[in-house]
Amino acid sequence: MAPTKKISLTEEELVRALKGRETIAIQALYDMYSGSLLGVISRIVQHTEIAEDLLQDTFIKIWNSTEYYDSSKGRLFTWMVNIARNLAIDKIRSKDFRNATKNQDIENNVDFIDAQKEITLNADTMGLKDMVTALKPEFNSVLDMVYFKGYTHVEAAEELNLPLGTVKTRIRMAIMELRKYFN
Amino acid sequence: MEESKAYIETGILELYVLGQLNAHEQREVEEMAAKYPEIKGEISAIEIAMEQYAIKHAMQPTAGLDKQIFEKILAEEPVIKETVSAPAPEAKIVQLTPDKSASTIKLLRFALVACIGLLVVSTVALYSAHDKLNTANQQIASLSLDKEKFAATVSFMKGENKDLQEIAAISSDPTWTLVKLAGTKISPQANMMVYWHKKGQHVMVDNTKMALPKNDADHQYQLWAIVNGKPVDLGVFDATAEPKKLLVTMKEVGNAQAFAVTLEKRGGSISPTMEKMVAMGGVSI
Repeated sequence: MAPTKKISLTEEELVRALKGRETIAIQALYDMYSGSLLGVISRIVQHTEIAEDLLQDTFIKIWNSTEYYDSSKGRLFTWMVNIARNLAIDKIRSKDFRNATKNQDIENNVDFIDAQKEITLNADTMGLKDMVTALKPEFNSVLDMVYFKGYTHVEAAEELNLPLGTVKTRIRMAIMELRKYFN
Repeated sequence: MEESKAYIETGILELYVLGQLNAHEQREVEEMAAKYPEIKGEISAIEIAMEQYAIKHAMQPTAGLDKQIFEKILAEEPVIKETVSAPAPEAKIVQLTPDKSASTIKLLRFALVACIGLLVVSTVALYSAHDKLNTANQQIASLSLDKEKFAATVSFMKGENKDLQEIAAISSDPTWTLVKLAGTKISPQANMMVYWHKKGQHVMVDNTKMALPKNDADHQYQLWAIVNGKPVDLGVFDATAEPKKLLVTMKEVGNAQAFAVTLEKRGGSISPTMEKMVAMGGVSI
């Protein structure tokens, strides 16, 4: 199912432990994925404290929803990062979040994102300068809007004033670049 | 092979991994992945790339967060549920709005019922008031009629009283001459009284002392003064059961030897119809 045996074995074991509700799975989950998940969450909500609360919610939700994970449909991380992203998006669209972070409602967030685009890509990502420069910025920005900013691809198309097909192509090209880079 | 390649190139697999597809589209991708191993392989490759991208962007959580999370997860089920339902107050807030509108609707309904009730009461009150007003109007009309009747009666009685006083005054006044007219052959029962003031030339007929057969609508009695053997017209009068006036003023005459009454056509005649003379009386000095 997965190309690398080593990763798939680890993931298989983890999934088995999760589904068996073995408490060791929680530790493994945290050690392996807390950084990656927090990276995605904090780019969406921008507030460290709220992001960590959401990370906590994400782990609890993962722990309570393991029966819904189907390894034949995709990797564990893909499933988990979607849970994390949905919780983060729900949060930034919620009334109490907008009240708590008055200048950070969705519209302001968009401006904020536009202003911070390059800074976010450079400052927050240590050791990524080489990779960032390797990617074509117009491809990368669309992918980042969807993966890190909580936009749907439809919203990204509207925001960038691009046809939906172009947005899809750019996302695909960006991921192709990433694949090339990581290989 | 061609189909799977074309499918891969649409970019739908990337959207699938990014969680951008709806349930229907997701099922479609999953069916395609089960059918074509190269699609499944492509999905895995995309997933790994995104996973590595995320690892590159990883942020170290604050120290101690892991313990917090473990404690929450390992705690009793109710605690877990409590934690899971932490954003619940928000949901409750959402529910408050329909509650409010429900209570508003309830209030509005109550207000509507109250308004209808008020309308019914008002309508009944209006009808009742209208009825009372009608009754009052009728009473006013009947009272006003009564008042007119009374006024008429009073005025009639005043007139009568004045006439009676005048009759009494005439009777005791020597300047007035009382002439009693007696019935003739054609009407032996008839008699009446005429008052004559010779100096003032006044002549009055006293209805209270009149006993003449009632005249019909076509005829009237006519009073004549006999002056030096010739009849002089003194005017007409009616003999009715309820006379309008007690004293009827007739035409003036200064010199008369006798008075006579004949039944003439309504309005009177120029000369008396002697056959129709009902009463006559001479002046006694």
